[in-house]
Amino acid sequence: MEQKNDTPASEFTITRVFDAPRQLVWEAWTQAHSLAEWWGPKGLTMKVAKLELRPGGTFHYSMATPDGHEMWGKFIYHEITPPERLVLVNSFSDAAGNIVRAPFSQEWPLEVRNVITLTESAGKTTVTLRGGPINATEAERRKFDSFHASMNQGFGGTFDQLSAYLARN
Amino acid sequence: MPSDCLSLTFSALADPTRRAILARLVEGEASVNALAKPFKISLPGISKHLKVLEKAGLVSRSREAQWRPCRLQAAPLKEVAAWTDSYREHWEQSFDRLGDYLDRIQLKGNPHKNHGTEK
Repeated sequence: MEQKNDTPASEFTITRVFDAPRQLVWEAWTQAHSLAEWWGPKGLTMKVAKLELRPGGTFHYSMATPDGHEMWGKFIYHEITPPERLVLVNSFSDAAGNIVRAPFSQEWPLEVRNVITLTESAGKTTVTLRGGPINATEAERRKFDSFHASMNQGFGGTFDQLSAYLARN
Repeated sequence: MPSDCLSLTFSALADPTRRAILARLVEGEASVNALAKPFKISLPGISKHLKVLEKAGLVSRSREAQWRPCRLQAAPLKEVAAWTDSYREHWEQSFDRLGDYLDRIQLKGNPHKNHGTEK
């Protein structure tokens, strides 16, 4: 597996420790009925249309607001390594599974690639999610991904500097 | 499929040389020559990177002075920061629910595992 080149170039990382064994957390990430319990915006009712847990497969779901408005979204799985690693691209979609703009924002990226890693220690599982928008064209994507190694090493510090700059401007 | 501004910004930020250029510009405007100095890259190479940064709206080049200084533009970076904040919030909320869900199913599967005895 190309573990090196499939990470989005992004400074976005979120980590959480769950009081559960890794196998259970993995199942919560990869089973339709479990995902429906926790994934997605708060207050919306999730319904799973399909879940194909294989590279290239799709998790397609709808999210209904309390007033009956319906949105669709999907994951495309890029890498599945039970029970430790998932790479998936998340988008808003229509009922047919075509990628669409986020209903609430023209600025929201069309496709966001997420790398999820699960590690277990003393019965607890640490989930780390790294994510970032990806470019739609493959050429751009390849260019984008090839800088993965340096991203990991150097982006944090630079981003701190840029954030400080932003705070001043 | 159309590309979006945010992807363009992220793509521009994905390169270490370009990030170094931006970091340098945080300190103030600079000429292409000055920007090229710390790198083992030719001037045309640096110009290429600057073009990408300009296209992403991260850098502007003054047409007034003859040395055409490069300047950092904050707006796209603010968009990146705003998106990152909302994306983080989305995941924080989902992770809260994932935690609750995992607690629930573990209680169901093993009623003896409890976080505290009932009072």
